[in-house]
Amino acid sequence: MKSRAASWLWILGLVLGVAHAGAESPVRFSDTEKQTILLHGPWPVATKPDPSNRVSGAPAAIAFGRALFNSSILAKDRDRSCAACHVAAKGFGDGRPRSIGIARVDRNAPGLYNLRLNRWFGWGGKSDTLWSQSIHPILDAKELGATPALIARRIAGNDRLAAAYRRTFGHEPAGKPPETVLVNVAKALAAFQETIVSGRTPFDTFRDALAKSRAAGIAAYPAAAKRGLKIFIGKGKCNICHFGPNFTNGEFHNIGIGYFVARGRVDKGRYGGIEALKASRYNLLGPYNDDTRRSTAGFTRRVRQHPANWGAFRVPSLRNLVATAPYMHDGSKPTLREAVRHYSELNEDRLHQTGEKLLRALRLSRREIADLIAFLNTLSETPRRK
Amino acid sequence: MTGIRLLVCAALVAVLPSVSSAQAEGCALDKLAAGSKLAAPPIRLGYRIVGGAVKVGAPFTIDVAACIGPGTAPRRIRIDARMPAHGHGMNYKPSERKLGPGHSRFEGLVFHMPGRWEISFDIFGADARKRLSVTLDVRR
Repeated sequence: MKSRAASWLWILGLVLGVAHAGAESPVRFSDTEKQTILLHGPWPVATKPDPSNRVSGAPAAIAFGRALFNSSILAKDRDRSCAACHVAAKGFGDGRPRSIGIARVDRNAPGLYNLRLNRWFGWGGKSDTLWSQSIHPILDAKELGATPALIARRIAGNDRLAAAYRRTFGHEPAGKPPETVLVNVAKALAAFQETIVSGRTPFDTFRDALAKSRAAGIAAYPAAAKRGLKIFIGKGKCNICHFGPNFTNGEFHNIGIGYFVARGRVDKGRYGGIEALKASRYNLLGPYNDDTRRSTAGFTRRVRQHPANWGAFRVPSLRNLVATAPYMHDGSKPTLREAVRHYSELNEDRLHQTGEKLLRALRLSRREIADLIAFLNTLSETPRRK
Repeated sequence: MTGIRLLVCAALVAVLPSVSSAQAEGCALDKLAAGSKLAAPPIRLGYRIVGGAVKVGAPFTIDVAACIGPGTAPRRIRIDARMPAHGHGMNYKPSERKLGPGHSRFEGLVFHMPGRWEISFDIFGADARKRLSVTLDVRR
């Protein structure tokens, strides 16, 4: 009897031993790593109305902006709206590498989540406010192709939109200079877009558990995501540019993506963005800034143009990125795996000579790529049950 | 200076010949008695980051005072910053407000990435400049 029990114990021990050998050791973070991780929260972050836009945060403006966003009245031929290229189900992108308005444009339609946290808007940062950015697609001949006069006439001639305009701005659109009506339309569009904020994610739950040393919350975060997070803040140094709660430092970097958009034609990236910004009468130094103190205009006043700005594009937020494929300013990476592989196999020779020296080919293993993707997936909201 | 580790390393990149005291009057180094100090004789420099810790992406202000000799202020002070390991500088040009001879306030410096930054102070005498620098580790 005794020897039989010993045999069972031996077998049990063997089974447990094998099981233990197959288990992975838990992923732990050093104090330095914890401090770095905590910088990516808390989420959401507190925000204030945009002082350059007097209707920022106003319910009437948000409602008017939503109506405009979904209306074809802003398109020259009344055949498309903002929502055609900024589809809610696609992270407010359109799923195409490069968007198609009246004609095919040079860049990918960026998602619209959390724009109110941006300092610069558009892939090249040619706008310093969300409202001035909103003017570009309305007037761009390849996008909606309208004119200030056309917009003013259509708003004034539409009873429903004219009433919404009046409720928002306190005056009739008729009789006002067309450019004033255009800018006000853009400010209402901005007020609406400011409300597009991504929700909390599995990463946020983990991050907050880590902040409060809650073992159960820390343990619930998948091991693969933890390993990917270690790469993100360690070997990958991804957090240097994808910094802070919104996973972007809001600036521009050359990451070795080609910028020839057609034979003999280049996308100047940030270099062209600064040129356009400085030339724009809709920037924060211009007459349409509602903040007489110009309290947010310092960046516009002081931004400087470098040769290194060529081929540099805005660092996008990584929140809700699962919904916003394809990736990069030209939509050249169809999947997250391709985007990660770009950094893994980076062609350093393609980087501009004065480009970001930080970037080096990461040479990630297949498992490391899978782990990094597992982490990136946790930066998106869990789909809500209907 | 929460969040910042100061690693002072005065680096000289140019030679400043003897400076005539006629070129500038007075010297305001005593205005920054409580600030950090750098020296490369005969130059002495004090600076103070206004408003506390430098944060990634947030504009900040530095007050600078310098003497290029006993009681002698420099003709001009210029400030800039770069990330040596990354090979780039700041994306914004700080603006200067003169507070007195050899005493300026520089506004709108922005460190747009976490890591080690090197701030350089160019001190201009009559016909030459001398550079002093300090490194800051900005993590948050």
